[in-house]
Amino acid sequence: MEERSRIVLLAAAIRLAIAPFFMHAGDVGTIYESSIMVLKGANLFDFVYAKTIQMQSATGLPVFFEGYAYHPLLIYFFAPFYWLFTLFAGQGPVMIDGHYPSVPVLIYPWTPVLLLMLKIPIILADVLVVYILAGMDSKKAKIYAFCPYVIFISVVWGMFDALVALFLLLSYLTSPRNSFLSGLFYGLSLMKLYTIVLLPLYVVRLFGKWKEFGTFLAGFAVTLLPIVYYLIVSPVSIWNVLITFQGGRLMGGVNLYNFIWIVQDLRFDLAVSMIPNIFLVVALFCLIVRFGRKAPLLESTLAIMFVYFLFGKVINEQFLVSIFPLMLLCKECDHRLWVAPFVFVFLRSSFLYFMLPILWTSPIFYGYYLQADTVWRQLQAAGYLQIPMYAVGVAFSLLIFWNLLRVIDTARGGIGSTYGIADNRAKELGLQGLISRLATMAGLSRARCAFSACSPRRSMPSQR
Amino acid sequence: MWLGYGTGAYQYQSENYFVLFNDPYDGSSKPHIHVNPSFAPASRISLVEFSDWTSWVNDHNFFNEFNVTIRARSPQTLDVTYSRPELVIHKYIEILPDAVRVTLQSEKEFVAHIEMWRWVMASINGISIKDVTKPLVIPPTTLVEFTFSDDGLPGLGRGRIVMSAMPSQIEIWPHETGFNKITVDFVNSMMSFTVSGSMEAVGAPSLNWNYALLPYVLPIVSITVVALYLLVGRYGRTIKNRATRRGN
Repeated sequence: MEERSRIVLLAAAIRLAIAPFFMHAGDVGTIYESSIMVLKGANLFDFVYAKTIQMQSATGLPVFFEGYAYHPLLIYFFAPFYWLFTLFAGQGPVMIDGHYPSVPVLIYPWTPVLLLMLKIPIILADVLVVYILAGMDSKKAKIYAFCPYVIFISVVWGMFDALVALFLLLSYLTSPRNSFLSGLFYGLSLMKLYTIVLLPLYVVRLFGKWKEFGTFLAGFAVTLLPIVYYLIVSPVSIWNVLITFQGGRLMGGVNLYNFIWIVQDLRFDLAVSMIPNIFLVVALFCLIVRFGRKAPLLESTLAIMFVYFLFGKVINEQFLVSIFPLMLLCKECDHRLWVAPFVFVFLRSSFLYFMLPILWTSPIFYGYYLQADTVWRQLQAAGYLQIPMYAVGVAFSLLIFWNLLRVIDTARGGIGSTYGIADNRAKELGLQGLISRLATMAGLSRARCAFSACSPRRSMPSQR
Repeated sequence: MWLGYGTGAYQYQSENYFVLFNDPYDGSSKPHIHVNPSFAPASRISLVEFSDWTSWVNDHNFFNEFNVTIRARSPQTLDVTYSRPELVIHKYIEILPDAVRVTLQSEKEFVAHIEMWRWVMASINGISIKDVTKPLVIPPTTLVEFTFSDDGLPGLGRGRIVMSAMPSQIEIWPHETGFNKITVDFVNSMMSFTVSGSMEAVGAPSLNWNYALLPYVLPIVSITVVALYLLVGRYGRTIKNRATRRGN
């Protein structure tokens, strides 16, 4: 069998075998709950906003309901699979009240089937990434396919950063050939809003190349249509859920700021949490001004994401998955960075929490879980886990900083070959045909390559 | 096995029932029997709570007027001894494979008024809340069957209490949307209440599923995947050989 197919099949098999038996109840529960609401035609953002208002009026604190706070497009990747599930399992509830920190009630035997169905988009994304990488370098594809961290986040946790990874990778690979698709894929990568930090990079690179800029924006704009719809239909809700909540979150995670919990004053903590934004904006500004326009796209993309990981106030364990394929393509990056967030997962959440679908099959296991969870919470409350968490966050930040310096160093030397690498990779991969077909379908067969400023064979209008 | 806590609380988790004895907060639940529905094994749905606060023996309140000692007589049986100068009563809580048995036993005959609570039962022995507005004495029987639902779980529950001897009186008490209490009066030296219950899912099609099969699921999935892989590999090689007209 061809090696590429073998890697892809094995990657899929591992994921399919694990997917039905594990989950992060809070995150998978959100996708499940949102899928139900979408099929009923309900407004997700109104629901989340109403819950937030309810919580704030009950507590008098600036707390937010942690429900669906993603790009509206995201749920349309999952809802069709939930709909398929309901065709044979009916519409009865399968997961009841799983919002963290409460544990859900799970209905059997449908829970494993539901988990498998809801994770299929994530598995497909992972498999596509493996397929694309295998077209370039089977070693890199194997690293992604069998990396414990990626497997854990995708099919044990059930987080969908693999979708972000796929779209960022596609945006990068299509950039030399078709700026419409590049814009479209970049827009899709905004399912997790943190990739918004890359927008200035794209703008700066295309500024002045108006036709390509317009084409890129057209592709990007397509993905924004659902947001525009919600901004018209329920502006207050979507603003509160996407901007106020995401922008005003308490700092922490796998970063330098995981000490804020020491001060038990929410208002103070939230105020302090705004400070990292200043560092982030300054660092991004410096980086984009210095390298944004001329450095190779891969390195500049990674540099910006590294800066985000370094200064961003909320860096969750799963975020690194989004740039993992790009890191594999970059010679200067050490892909072993994944170890730190992977360790962090087990310091922040008890591993048993991911095993609820297995443990909940028996009341005996459930009883043991409650006892183990009590011990875990006591360890947390006593602070025994916070010091290792902080240490891992600092170590990760230092490693990110080291990788950032290496990437910047390469970017300095690489100015002048801006998009040649992505173009070559797209050729290696055989993406040209695919892109041409997609472009033809979109009526863009004559679209010029957007990012060919440094290719003398494809001069841009402004250079003529 | 019964698990005891420093507060004097005990709990037992079997495959089907969770039993709490002596709630650490207020001393209620003596015992409180919960059922684990087969379609949601990690849920504990209240079935019946025996209340010492509102139960009486020889006109003495079980909670306030007896000295109580508790010990596990066997891994499945909790022995609660209620003693007064003139009377010693044992309450045995015994976990059976498909039920929980609560037995009151003494060397002397005693007069008892026992109250069992649940919020709430939709019907008792076929009598619906719609038919009753005041406490109702039901015909003497050794079998009490009731139905219930749960706020959080979509299911229909059935409970059953079997008494070892005919009581002198059974009374059911309505409360808003259902019955919340069954009281049993009897005169005897021994009386046991065997409590069992179950819940059926509503709204989702059921499948025949035995949880003992779970350990086999992962190996079966793995074997299937490996078999598929080998089949695809073999098939792929055959096709390739045909295309290139080469054999192994």
